[in-house]
Amino acid sequence: MPDRDDAARLADHAQIEGLADDLLPALIAKLGATGLAELEVREGDWRVRLRRSADGTTSGARTTPGRAARSAGGHADHAHQQPAPEPAVDPYRAAATSPGVGISHSRPEISSGSRVRAGDRIASVDVLGIPQEVVAPVNGIVGAGLVESGDAVEYGQELVWIELISTAAERSGRDA
Amino acid sequence: MFSKILIANRGEIAVRILRACRTLGVEAVVAYSEADRESLAVQQADEAICIGPADAKRSYLSAPAVISAAIVSGCDAIHPGYGFLSEDEGFAEVVGAHGLTFIGPPPQVLERFASKEATRHLLGGEGLATIPGSNGMIRDDLHGLEEAERIGYPVLIKPSAGGGGKGMRMVRTPRELEAALKICRSEARAAFGDDSLYLEKWLEDNRHVEVQVAVDRFGHGVHLGERDCSVQRRHQKFLEEAPTPALGEAARNELAERAIKAVVAAGYENVGTLEFLVDPAGNAYFIEINCRIQVEHPITEMLTGIDLVTTQIRIAAGEPLGFSQADVTLRGHALEFRINAEDTEHDFRPSTGTVERYLVPGGPGVRMDSHLFTGYEVPPFYDSLLGKLIVWGPDRPTAIARSRVALDELVVEGLVTNVAIHQALLVNDIFLAGEMTTNLVDRVGSAAFLAAAAR
Repeated sequence: MPDRDDAARLADHAQIEGLADDLLPALIAKLGATGLAELEVREGDWRVRLRRSADGTTSGARTTPGRAARSAGGHADHAHQQPAPEPAVDPYRAAATSPGVGISHSRPEISSGSRVRAGDRIASVDVLGIPQEVVAPVNGIVGAGLVESGDAVEYGQELVWIELISTAAERSGRDA
Repeated sequence: MFSKILIANRGEIAVRILRACRTLGVEAVVAYSEADRESLAVQQADEAICIGPADAKRSYLSAPAVISAAIVSGCDAIHPGYGFLSEDEGFAEVVGAHGLTFIGPPPQVLERFASKEATRHLLGGEGLATIPGSNGMIRDDLHGLEEAERIGYPVLIKPSAGGGGKGMRMVRTPRELEAALKICRSEARAAFGDDSLYLEKWLEDNRHVEVQVAVDRFGHGVHLGERDCSVQRRHQKFLEEAPTPALGEAARNELAERAIKAVVAAGYENVGTLEFLVDPAGNAYFIEINCRIQVEHPITEMLTGIDLVTTQIRIAAGEPLGFSQADVTLRGHALEFRINAEDTEHDFRPSTGTVERYLVPGGPGVRMDSHLFTGYEVPPFYDSLLGKLIVWGPDRPTAIARSRVALDELVVEGLVTNVAIHQALLVNDIFLAGEMTTNLVDRVGSAAFLAAAAR
């Protein structure tokens, strides 16, 4: 933000501190009490979103062990800013990983944009002729594929992104 | 020769096989479990492939995972190392069925030597003495008493099925035999669903001596001398040496000659080890054959200058051995110390942790085969072998003197190792006299052994 002066930046910092001190503890308590998976509060230009250390993301987190720990504490970002690309800790998507070493095969009914639930079979990996199911680690929308059907893959390899539903909806709304 | 080899093992042997592949100019792919992602073999490999989770049953022991990894990475052969799938003749057969080569004996040879009992008959027929035992299974108590009388007490009751010491008892008198037969029958029935028992002569104060052989596809075979593995704790070898101090040169040669003649006649192929028990009179009884590379192979390499792993790979690729018995000379004396992550002060319980400091010994005749490095986190899922310190000298006293220095130089901080038991052995009079028997450490007790050395 090159057009912002120091005063504006200081004001932002003060605002973030206020949100963190006043709002976050209340939100965390609320989240705990309701059993909701996610809460979001908007205040002026700022948005605070809190997501429970997501059930179902643990399998997707295999190669990104930092994710669960980081998202557990909540997540605050600036509404005007695109989230910084941070592949190791990605709150917006989770990768479906390979259950074995072999050849990956897509499923005809699953493609980019398909809506899936955690546990849905979205592809398979052929291990010596025996297909092993690749399952969606979270509820969401099938995003970018990281391998082609027919590619050799190893155990635990990330095969396809699943965009988390709320994120995907927001993004498409913003893009429109 | 193969174009690309999958290394289906971990730890120090994966590193050893990788070196052998590179020596031969053959590409290699290291297959690893999730727990070994940061291992030395994976770091050193040009190519590595994750085959499964930490649980060995779903990675290193999974035939489909290993074979699939070989196929998708474009390998034409699989080296199984030792342990895991290395002695599984079913695995070797499936590897062959997928158009790949199992680096070891061909499946039909493995099958011929799969049963210990059948192998004893086979090689017994080719001139190897086997431990005197009952003619077949014990029919009833009376038959058992007659057979024990014929063999001579003490005898060992052994179940036909299974292993692990269940249904096994050593008895010294007919009265003990009668009582023990009942117990062994019920133990064997419970453990294996088969209560057939047989008797074997019990060898008191025996030594474990094994002969290394190499036989090519064309029936040309050599022996590479023997190794003494009498230093054991609860039937686990932890210090090996060659040549064996148990036998004189003529007796050693005679044993090795008989061994190579028998396995060539029986149609063995590739490197292998014939294990013998040697009684105090120097009689050697064949017990079993190991159809793979062994942990203690480096001491033979030190004596002969022959690389056993490249030899194993070349034979599996169908190459002729390329040398004859006359080319094999055994020089000097070598010892191997298995460095294990074990706490000698707490009944040798396995220890895990992160290697905070690792200093490798050196000097003339000193070799360290290990997968350790500073910062390496020893995973808790596998065996406790951290590496092998191998020391050569022109004679046994020099090799022992060099070993003391090397063991003192070795530093592994961050986890507990068994170095103390090795140091204790190197000041033990019985060991120094070359008179170790397989039961010595257990009879004295490891704790007493360590305490005696500390004085």
